[in-house]
Amino acid sequence: MMAAPARLEPPRPPEDTAFPPPPEWDVLQFDGSDRALTDTLLAPLRGVGRTWWTLFVLSALGTLLFAFTITYTIAKGIGTWGNNIPVAWAFAITNFVWWIGIGHAGTFISAFLLLLNQHWRASINRVAEAMTIFALMNAGLFPILHLGRPWFFYWLIPYPATMGVWPNFKSALPWDIAAVTTYLTVSILFWYAGLVPDLATARDHAASTFRRRVYGIFALGWRGSNTAWRQHRIAMVLLAGLATPLVVSVHSVVSLDFSIAQLPGWHSTIFPPYFVVGAIYSGFAMVLLLILPLRWAYGLEHIITKRHLDAMAKLTLVMALLLTYAYVVELFVSWYSQDPSERFTYFVERPRGAYAVFYWIMITCNVIVPQIFWWKRFRTSVGVLFAAGAAILIGMWLERFIIIVTSLDRSFLASSWHLYRPTWVDFGLLFGSLGQFGLLFLLFVRFVPFVAISEVKRLRHDLKANDGRELGLPHA
Amino acid sequence: MTDASWGCRMRDTRWPSGAYAAEFSSERHFAGAVAILRGQGYSKIETYTPYPVPRIEAVLPESPSVLPPLVLLAGFAGGLIGYWIQWYTNAVSYPLNIGGRPAHAAPAFFIPTFEGTILAAATAAFVGLFALLRLPQPWHPMFEINGFERASIDRFWIAVDATDARGSGDLTPRALEALKPLRVVRVPGSA
Amino acid sequence: MMSDRPRSHRDLALSRREFIHLAGASLALAGLDGCTRMPAEHILPYVDNRPELTPGVGEYYATAMSLDGVATGLIVESHSGRPTKIEGNPEHPASLGASGPLEQASLLQLYDPDRARFARSQSTPTSWEVLAAQLAPAALRPRVGARGAGLHVLIEPTSSLLDEELLARVIESHPDAHIYMYAPLVGDRGAHGIVTHYDISAADVIVALDADFLSSGPFHLRYARQFADKRRLAQPTDAMNRLYTIESGFTPTGAAADHRFAVRPSDVAGIARSLQSALNGGTAGPPWLAAMARDLRAHAGRSVVIAGEHQSNSVRALADSINDAIGATSRITWRAPTPLIGEHVPVHSLTELVAALRTRAVDTLIIVGGNPSYATPAPFDFSVLLRSVPNSGYVGLYENETARDVRWFVPMSHYLESWGDTRAYDGTVSIVQPLVNPLYRSTTSAEVYAALAGMGLVGSYDLLRSSWKRRGNAEAAWGDALQRGFVAGTQFARAESEGRGSTVEGPGSRVAATSNPIDVLFVADPKVHDGSFANNGWLQELPAPLTQLTWNNAALLSPTTARRLGVGNGVHIALTSNARHIELPALIVPGHADDTVTVHFGYGRAGAESLARGVGANAYDLWPSTGVRFLSDVAITVSSKTSALALAQTQETMEVREPVRHATLDEYRAAPSRVGRRPGRALSLYPEIPASERSATQWAMTIDLATCIGCGGCVVACQAENNIPIVGASEVRNAREMQWLRIDRYFAQRETEVEALLQPMLCQHCEKAPCEYVCPVQATTHSNDGLNEMVYNRCVGTRFCSNNCPYKVRRFNWFDYNKHLSDTEMMAKNPNVTVRERGVMEKCTFCVQRIREAGIAAGREDRPLRGTDVRTACQQACPTNAIVFGSLNEPDSEMVRRREQPRSYAALDDLGTEPRVRYLARIRNTNSEIAGAKHDGGAR
Repeated sequence: MMAAPARLEPPRPPEDTAFPPPPEWDVLQFDGSDRALTDTLLAPLRGVGRTWWTLFVLSALGTLLFAFTITYTIAKGIGTWGNNIPVAWAFAITNFVWWIGIGHAGTFISAFLLLLNQHWRASINRVAEAMTIFALMNAGLFPILHLGRPWFFYWLIPYPATMGVWPNFKSALPWDIAAVTTYLTVSILFWYAGLVPDLATARDHAASTFRRRVYGIFALGWRGSNTAWRQHRIAMVLLAGLATPLVVSVHSVVSLDFSIAQLPGWHSTIFPPYFVVGAIYSGFAMVLLLILPLRWAYGLEHIITKRHLDAMAKLTLVMALLLTYAYVVELFVSWYSQDPSERFTYFVERPRGAYAVFYWIMITCNVIVPQIFWWKRFRTSVGVLFAAGAAILIGMWLERFIIIVTSLDRSFLASSWHLYRPTWVDFGLLFGSLGQFGLLFLLFVRFVPFVAISEVKRLRHDLKANDGRELGLPHA
Repeated sequence: MTDASWGCRMRDTRWPSGAYAAEFSSERHFAGAVAILRGQGYSKIETYTPYPVPRIEAVLPESPSVLPPLVLLAGFAGGLIGYWIQWYTNAVSYPLNIGGRPAHAAPAFFIPTFEGTILAAATAAFVGLFALLRLPQPWHPMFEINGFERASIDRFWIAVDATDARGSGDLTPRALEALKPLRVVRVPGSA
Repeated sequence: MMSDRPRSHRDLALSRREFIHLAGASLALAGLDGCTRMPAEHILPYVDNRPELTPGVGEYYATAMSLDGVATGLIVESHSGRPTKIEGNPEHPASLGASGPLEQASLLQLYDPDRARFARSQSTPTSWEVLAAQLAPAALRPRVGARGAGLHVLIEPTSSLLDEELLARVIESHPDAHIYMYAPLVGDRGAHGIVTHYDISAADVIVALDADFLSSGPFHLRYARQFADKRRLAQPTDAMNRLYTIESGFTPTGAAADHRFAVRPSDVAGIARSLQSALNGGTAGPPWLAAMARDLRAHAGRSVVIAGEHQSNSVRALADSINDAIGATSRITWRAPTPLIGEHVPVHSLTELVAALRTRAVDTLIIVGGNPSYATPAPFDFSVLLRSVPNSGYVGLYENETARDVRWFVPMSHYLESWGDTRAYDGTVSIVQPLVNPLYRSTTSAEVYAALAGMGLVGSYDLLRSSWKRRGNAEAAWGDALQRGFVAGTQFARAESEGRGSTVEGPGSRVAATSNPIDVLFVADPKVHDGSFANNGWLQELPAPLTQLTWNNAALLSPTTARRLGVGNGVHIALTSNARHIELPALIVPGHADDTVTVHFGYGRAGAESLARGVGANAYDLWPSTGVRFLSDVAITVSSKTSALALAQTQETMEVREPVRHATLDEYRAAPSRVGRRPGRALSLYPEIPASERSATQWAMTIDLATCIGCGGCVVACQAENNIPIVGASEVRNAREMQWLRIDRYFAQRETEVEALLQPMLCQHCEKAPCEYVCPVQATTHSNDGLNEMVYNRCVGTRFCSNNCPYKVRRFNWFDYNKHLSDTEMMAKNPNVTVRERGVMEKCTFCVQRIREAGIAAGREDRPLRGTDVRTACQQACPTNAIVFGSLNEPDSEMVRRREQPRSYAALDDLGTEPRVRYLARIRNTNSEIAGAKHDGGAR
């Protein structure tokens, strides 16, 4: 049958969590035909509304700002930033770590949960993966941009140079290059491999010949043959298995940029796990910020259900608790170390120093705000989730700022102590990168199936087969 | 073509000598049909579905995929190359006194080695997948069928090679008709 | 090439266009056309006399720089005819090989693009030749009268025999002409022209009575060396001299003191009186005074009291009588004639000139050097008076304030472009030998006097040679004088006259006993002196000793006073006296005398000097009259304005760490190992570098904090040697200064006394360098002779190295700081050192260019390179020899012997960076009788 896509608002969930959960708590509530489902999920590709255009213009302006500040920086030199000696790193590296971290949630959701057979991920993994890629594209820019001579960034890559000089693999920065490029590559491969069947659907669903051709090219001639599906499934599992260690490794490597140094506030063994948790945490926040408007704008409440929001909120809370633990351990270790500089950094400079206000904002956003997710009411309230997500993103940016700046501005010798003040260029780059991220994401939503159609269909039929209850293994 | 050669590599060819295809509207009906055809001894069968239908995988046997061993090998190679580059550049080609550290610093070399492993393995998985599937492949006889595009939306197709030993003469189309599909069509040979 | 050398440097006078052309050539063709700017006359290299220049190899010539008329002997390094570096002349009594910031930076003054280039009459261009003709007696008499009554000549203080001789001739041709000599910081010559000398090396106890004898005034380099030599402490048991400093501001002499007492300038006289009475058993004054007096008496014959040259006669007379009483006179201190001229030609004071100007008695006023329109007491209204003179001329380096007020102007030659002579403080005649032809159409004072005396256009070389002959010197002696830079045995005999040297009217013409709560103290600026160096970027950006202030002057006051006035750093305060007022930002200096504001001369310039203009406030606007040291009737109002001061260091104390270790001599003797204690265990997991991979010389440095006085000579020397750019006030405010060597300053409270802990901080050349392993491109690596090397053209500028440097000694080129250099400034660059581009990191290299140069020389002579073959720029400049450099493999070298002292330690040694720089803990020889001495274990 050809039922039009139904936009049914699921009623408010009961306060008590009865089990089995009522149907509106399903991971999928679409009851139309596959055809209808396809129409719904591909609707954005056929055209977009005023909201999209508004956001597009905004983020396009942001992107222009980004382009301008980058050009200005390269033309004039990074003296146009607020950095100095001792604070030789600040905004650029903060932005880098922040964006990389955001990327992690994508991989976590798509790869990690795939291995764990968390089917509910089907409705949001595509968005999450795209987010990862765009975040990494931003992140990758900053380390290059912050160089004194950015045009020589390729000297960090081991290519046979005429002078016979090579990178120094004892430094964490070549590790960074390796980790980030690998991460970006694998993310793109994983994303595209998963996308091909849906591109085929888009091809076959396209209205105009032109669109059919374009999607046809990207669909590579996918026909959904049994062989193809089988190999595809194997490949996806393999890719997921390879991407999962990246979730753990990439931000661990990023954290080494700091912890291999002997600077108080950087020189800490807890950094790798601490950074990974923080990364996934901020990523989840960003996913919330992306899917909440999406499901509202395209009426996907029956595809991205309260069940998803609830799950996301729970995961966010878990990450918040892990992060809090990391904070506490950090403080304990610095106290336990008896090292005067360590203690000064953690107990004087950060909570009471020049940047103390940002420190406490960070604590509020990262530790206190997420505690509201102990209540189901908040876990499923779109407004609350959105606000919390925004707060967490701010908190996580500040966390990196605090780690970098409040360690550098008060290092060993008091004679060289000096504070850091950002310039308009610093802010321009930060907000510009947000603009670029928004632009890329909007284009993605406009031209690429942002829900994994085939996976959702498969999921639907599996759900039907098990009369709507949770599934054990996907394939009987 | 011997049975042994019916590995994943040879399946879903461009039907050199043409094929017969049947269209179904429900997964269950379609899966049953596949089972019946197999029961009748048809072996050169391929199916086209909008989403994976695991149930028929049991019915259509295939030789184990070569992807996992391929990825494993690529991973090892990537790791080795990764470590070798670091060892050669820092300890052999141009060793320097860097902060009094040994030129060959295995602990420091671990991370790029790991990244090399993942990168090579992932690339192998991706490239391997599409190589095995002979993709990209912009044209295919099935695309000639009017309405085949619904195979990626909500229709399920079965195609049987016209040269299938079991289906000499017009047996195959009849066998297909017997499965009560929406329709049966002749797929022109591409050769 | 020698053949087409111009006959006289006048022939080579250039238009700016020609000059830039030539300057470019002398850079481009440094090798081929090396002699372009060589002086015409035959000058002799210091060491050996090579017929031609070897491109790339520096030549060294002796010359002398005179400041306020007194000479300091110098050795100047020249590359292809371009002077590039200034060092002290080891044989010269005023230098002993050392050089201070001003001597070092005078090089940049030579190349200052703001220097005047053209002679002018009113605003029309003219030439010295034309003006010289008008100055001939015949041409001048109609104006100034037959006996030249209308002719007045104002010169800056000089001790040049040549000048004196020529001026005498001027008087011959104009018997009634007047000659005046003036510089704001030099007292008038007085009748007898007698000055006081000291032999610090003979003193065990020194009391400096408001006298900064270690870092300013004549012979300060010599005194600093003598002072330090008595504090080396090879063993804990060694003897050590003791310095008491009584002062208002905080000077290097105060920082070096074992006891420092901050008193109001108006109390100095009283202190001197009570000290004398205490010596005679009196009990006046604070308890420490009595203890000090006892100490002086206990060391009778080996103790001395030094009163500042700027002190009033009464104070200095008191000091003299005290010195007589403690047997210092003639042993440690004696009198000798002043080197300043005046014996053979009558020299008058500025006040007399001002009187003459007021009576309109002056027809022709010729000013040679100085800058009287700026650097004179405001009440004189000199600028206005000068404009009223019918025929006024000025010969100077810059089109400055004075140049604006005169009718005609002639550019003056820098001393590095002039022939001349001058005398050291002790009278030693020193030859001023030019290193380069005048860059512009400039003239020298001697040539001006010659023209006035009717000798026409004579080059100063010929003038000098003829006067040399006339003085009956042997021709052979000339060569020797040029080579050594001075004429041996020309110092004065001691004078036994009771007369006083320069006369100073009573301190603060209006001392209103205690009516006013605030004294304002006027002092010479350690960097721009009286303002004559105000356009010198190296000096403007040099952090002032102890205040760390750059690119400004400020009202220095004590924390207590600041609290009372309710001002913080940068808050503007207005000082008003007699309807004249200046406004300048406050700067709090711990240890500064309460109820006292110190103001430095030399800022608030309004001349054509682009760097100096608008920097700081002009203290002369408040200065009531010459010779006045301080004012007591000043009203202070706090303004609403504030300005961010460009401070090179913002923290006052050492906070969490203790980079500077210090102890009293008693503590050190009691437990020597405690002072220099080292980490118990090795702090590295890494294997030692095998000896096979280390070269024979292992470079290292030892710095003695007990003798560092923080004068800043090393900082400027490093800047000059290593082509370090200046970045300007706003960049300094954002902690982007580029000096490779900085002098960290921490204040510490010792009971009642505030002491300053100074630490020259440079790249420590760690053997386990934290900066090296974090560099992703191997741009900073370790050489096999122990240097932490920085490869500029490999650096991509991640700045990770700086983040991981515990000493924060790395400097980053945030912008292209060398982009807008003028042609002349480019000529000042050291050709053996890379000029760094934008975006790369840089830092101290241990003067690697000097190390490699010495290595090549050793190779050529086929002998092993010895650590003693190399001296770093900072080491060479240091007046107190606090810095020694050498090889660790030479156990008998001074550098190694020092670092084996129990008090030697490595900064932040608990980090396991294994620095090659070692510090010797600061030891104070405190007087146990004074409470301030007893305090917590300093070595903690």
